[in-house]
Amino acid sequence: MMINELVRMHHINKYFGRVQALNDVSLSVRKQEIVGLLGDNGAGKSTLIKILSGALRADSGEITMHGKRVDIRNTTDAIKMGIETIYQDSALVPQLSIARNIFLGREPTRMFDLMDQQKMNDVASKLLKQVGISKNIPPTTPVSALSGGERQAVSIARALYFESELIILDEPTNNLGVEETQGVLRFVRNARDTGHSCILIAHNIYHVFQVVDRIVVLRRGKTVADDIDPKKTTIEAVEHVITGMSL
Amino acid sequence: MALIDRVESPPAERTSLVQFLIARPEFGPFVLLVLEIVVFNALSPAFLSALNISNLLAFVPELGMLALGMTMLMTAGEFDLSVGSVFGFTPIVMWTLYNEGVTGLEAAFIISLLLAVLIGAVNGFMVTRLKIPSFLVTLGMLLVVRGTALYITDGFPQSRWTTDSPLLGILVGDFRIGEIRIFNSLLWFIAFSIILGYILMLSRAGNWIQAAGGNPNSARARGVRVDRTKIMLFILTAVISAWAGITSSIRVATANPNSGTGYELEVIAMVVIGGTALTGGRGTIIGTLLGVFILRVMRNGINFTDVPGLAYNIFIGGIILGMMALHSWLERRHHAGT
Ligand SMILES: Nc1ncnc2c1ncn2[C@@H]1O[C@H](COP(=O)(O)OP(=O)(O)OP(=O)(O)O)[C@@H](O)[C@H]1O
Ligand SMILES: [Mg+2]
Repeated sequence: MMINELVRMHHINKYFGRVQALNDVSLSVRKQEIVGLLGDNGAGKSTLIKILSGALRADSGEITMHGKRVDIRNTTDAIKMGIETIYQDSALVPQLSIARNIFLGREPTRMFDLMDQQKMNDVASKLLKQVGISKNIPPTTPVSALSGGERQAVSIARALYFESELIILDEPTNNLGVEETQGVLRFVRNARDTGHSCILIAHNIYHVFQVVDRIVVLRRGKTVADDIDPKKTTIEAVEHVITGMSL
Repeated sequence: MALIDRVESPPAERTSLVQFLIARPEFGPFVLLVLEIVVFNALSPAFLSALNISNLLAFVPELGMLALGMTMLMTAGEFDLSVGSVFGFTPIVMWTLYNEGVTGLEAAFIISLLLAVLIGAVNGFMVTRLKIPSFLVTLGMLLVVRGTALYITDGFPQSRWTTDSPLLGILVGDFRIGEIRIFNSLLWFIAFSIILGYILMLSRAGNWIQAAGGNPNSARARGVRVDRTKIMLFILTAVISAWAGITSSIRVATANPNSGTGYELEVIAMVVIGGTALTGGRGTIIGTLLGVFILRVMRNGINFTDVPGLAYNIFIGGIILGMMALHSWLERRHHAGT
């Protein structure tokens, strides 16, 4: 085991019918490390992280956290282990308020199952500021009334509050405006300082270069590079690794 | 680290209380109810007579209880077409057990409620575990339950019974406030409304109910037990329907195997008029109470006008369409503004 290793996926295989989406893929993330996961369309990136977040099960292979083997059977298991996943079409309940979404499934209660809405709203307000929503949005606002970027911020706030060790972002900047995209990237860059690790999937290599410590590349379900240092290489070189064309 | 560095927008102008109330989904139904009362009162002074108010309040709790259960279920994204048949079936069971001397009345009451638990559990199980749409499951259940009631009784009402059980008084005893006669069933209805309103709006269970209807997959991903929540609500709906049906049978001193026929649609209409979304995620007990009164007052008040009673459905249909248009307009305006 590497020093400071948080999570490692070992020799993962995954088939969809006769299509092999993942072929003996291994991936590790260290504590407070930001990993960029790159690859062309259909390379298997989403499939790989869905296995880590409990949305899919691998056909073979295993996952260890802090060096111990874990069994992630569903998304609830993953969240319990501190793995939070943020998708573009965020997994929020549009009709519920920001505060109710952040605490969904882990609501603080008093007697008679009464939710402590005061606490929920206070915490939600603080978190919204922390993730940089400077606009004064009340935590009682329904999520359906928020923009795409604001929704991402709510998902991120949730991941921060429940101290997830690993935050996975699968194309979190799709369909976001310039400023909102910068906001998400800034969050990823800062996650390290607040003690989190991240896996970032994005098609925009330029964005990935700005924030990650290490780049992993998948091509047709196989790992073709897993230790590219963005400081020591160029975007063109990484593009060649992704497409498989030699320099 | 600002996720969105917009320039600080000017502080939103403080919305006044009036604006707040107008934006509530319950506002439209509230206005409609007031309007109905004003119009019927203008057309006939007998409408607000003590006798008529007594009559209105005698029947409201019975359909109203079905509507309360349906509100909870619809907020979780499901509905139940078997409520009317459970309303008719469970009193038949209770009175048959008692009249045949099988059990005492209290035991028969408990057995009927347990049967309702079973009916609700089967509905919930088939919807959540077998993933059959609630429309089909509860339509099937409606036929099974109604058919059983007809089979047990050969289609005849159960009536002559004598009992000195305190249960009758507890469920439907009556008292007077001034000249208005009030049945205890109204007090039960108020109590159920408060309890279910509390659960839906203030409790953690309520958050789960709304999440189950709003986005079941993400609710599940957060550890919300969506299936269990829905099964509990199917059970709740069936039990409260049984309670309402038994109440009704005691009040009219007959258990008719056909009673409650067609109630399911009227109840769903009451719930959606009040502002609960048919698609789930959003529900309001206060809105449902308004919806119950809107339809009951309409049905009752129309007797005092020159409009033939047969035209009642035209008005009900008009109200449903008008309220749906209003709710969808409010919804869209709400989203456009933000
Ligand atoms: N549920 C599924 N059923 C069948 N095949 C699937 C399923 N999900 C993914 N695949 C296949 O697995 C392969 C990998 O898909 P995956 O979504 O992981 O790619 P990706 O790297 O995330 O691509 P993109 O960049 O386009 O999001 C593709 O060939 C895809 O068609
Ligand atoms: Mg993908």
